[in-house]
Amino acid sequence: MHTKSSVKLRPCWWDGLVVAAVLLLSGAVFFFFYLSNGSGSGDLTAVITHRGEEIGRVDLTALTSEETITVEGTYDLTIVLSSDGAQVISATCPTQDCVHTGKISRAGQSIVCLPEQVVVQLVGAKNGVDAVIG
Amino acid sequence: MKLTTRQLALCAVLTALALGLSYMEGLFPVSLLIPLPGIKLGLANIVTVYALYELGVWPALAILAARCLLGSVFAGNASALIFSLMGGVLAMLVMIVLSRFRRLSIFGVSIGGAAAHNIGQIGAAMITLGSTAPIGYLPVLLIVALFTGALTGFVVSLLFRAMKNVRLMHE
Amino acid sequence: MKRIFAILLAAGMLFSLTACGSSSYTADIFAMDTVMKLTANGANAQAGVEAAVKEINRLESQLSNTIASSEISQLNAGGSGTVSEETAQLLSAALTYAQKTEGAFDMTIAPVVSAWGITTDTPRVPSADEISALLQLVGSQHITVSGTSVTLDAGCAIDLGGIAKGYASDRIAAVFAENGVTSGVVSLGGNVYACGMKDKKTGWRVAIQDPRDSANYAAVVTLSNQFAVTSGGYQRYFTAEDGTVYQHIIDPATGYPVKGDLTSVTIIGTNGTMCDAYSTALYVMGKEKAIAYWASHSDEFGLVLITTDGQVLYTPDLEGNLESVEGSSYAYQVIG
Repeated sequence: MHTKSSVKLRPCWWDGLVVAAVLLLSGAVFFFFYLSNGSGSGDLTAVITHRGEEIGRVDLTALTSEETITVEGTYDLTIVLSSDGAQVISATCPTQDCVHTGKISRAGQSIVCLPEQVVVQLVGAKNGVDAVIG
Repeated sequence: MKLTTRQLALCAVLTALALGLSYMEGLFPVSLLIPLPGIKLGLANIVTVYALYELGVWPALAILAARCLLGSVFAGNASALIFSLMGGVLAMLVMIVLSRFRRLSIFGVSIGGAAAHNIGQIGAAMITLGSTAPIGYLPVLLIVALFTGALTGFVVSLLFRAMKNVRLMHE
Repeated sequence: MKRIFAILLAAGMLFSLTACGSSSYTADIFAMDTVMKLTANGANAQAGVEAAVKEINRLESQLSNTIASSEISQLNAGGSGTVSEETAQLLSAALTYAQKTEGAFDMTIAPVVSAWGITTDTPRVPSADEISALLQLVGSQHITVSGTSVTLDAGCAIDLGGIAKGYASDRIAAVFAENGVTSGVVSLGGNVYACGMKDKKTGWRVAIQDPRDSANYAAVVTLSNQFAVTSGGYQRYFTAEDGTVYQHIIDPATGYPVKGDLTSVTIIGTNGTMCDAYSTALYVMGKEKAIAYWASHSDEFGLVLITTDGQVLYTPDLEGNLESVEGSSYAYQVIG
């Protein structure tokens, strides 16, 4: 089928097609995920999921002071919500990726703790409401 | 899949090499630069690509499966299995298809494989977390794949060039 | 080549695993003179939504009084006739609501509505004489339903516009259940049906529009297996040459558009037809009577009233559910 003797060892122009395809995919995902989630001015909402179950949904724009949420499990996380974003300020998980992510403030962004399966995701105004009557 | 003893031995060596590479890339603190969970350089893919061309599809798959299983056992982390499997299998499938195109060099194939690997990992993250949030990392990971794929391709090309005169598979 | 195909197929299946559980299907249609959006989640999403759309079209052709061949149009034209059992039951329900609300909801208002023509291209202000003449044709006594035969007095006509979408939402609930859909949300103009929950932990969030500002919401409620219908004059109206604004909901007692202290009425309950009928009726009744009516039927539905003096009043069963909207300048208050 394909052997080492028949494969080109130097990069060539056709590889550019693969590179272009990957770039295109990257752009498309970015567009659909971030831009259609609504760059929410207005009701920016933080949705917190723990092991697949939603444990909290907080309208950030309605917050007048910081709100702290603690998630307990094999590892513990401390999440701080404020009117302009969300941040994991401390966690007991080994790699601390969630803490390193820092503060997120735009719809579509999220902080993930894989070991404890916690996701803090920001959703924009249009996502906060499923239907409008009136 | 009829393997000669030589081929079988090569498989074993490659598996060990892949495990070693996996462990080694775990030491490199990539998440300090890019705070994304599970981001890896994908060095173990070097073995996958090499095996694919040197031995063929089935041996390469076997090495991949063995590396993922043993890797999760050594790491003491069963959930890592779904991540490495999904990433590895998807990368393999994409590379098999891409390798059919003679016009592509090993760089194109490796980049495609690296991108598929990251997509597979995001898929695993979504299943594990029960959320679509991980998709947000995909755009960045795909760009990173361009570089890790090129790196993998480069290393394998060096390997092949160096091994050109070594008759590994013959008496 | 076969190998490649098999491998691609396997890859495709592997990929589809990642989408597990997030399948959803939405259809946007225009029917019953309004924009409708139907969404369902799960494996049967597409089948459920498509069946629901078929059902809406079927009902429209049966009940609309703007489609000449519908049962209702033929009834209006002929004065009497036989209708399907389904229509007969709907007519009986409409009569029951008319009786319960003491005529605030009345389907026989059709001749007066036609005379005003507020929802058509040619709205006008009928003279007082014309209106009092037409009022003679209004009232439940002009229509008799006996089994499937219906008798309508001469000159009278019926309009199911105030109840048809509510009935359609009840039918959609049944169609979803028949198709195994357990999660979805359907919006038929101002009528919403929330099927099940949106996901494992959250219900469907439904916003009530701010009558004063179409870009904002006045309040948000979370629903699950419930219907919500809103009626308000601001939805459709026309401004006469002298500047007077006439909105489209006519008071069956006076023959004139309602000029009350309410800008919007929202009914939340487990029966779509009832919610639709009551939303119109309580809007006609005005604040005091609407609250009194709710008090004597408090286990049937939840109520949200938006008043002309800037209050959002809601019933105690919605406490803990209804969310106020930041910066909406409304005063939120639980009803007695």
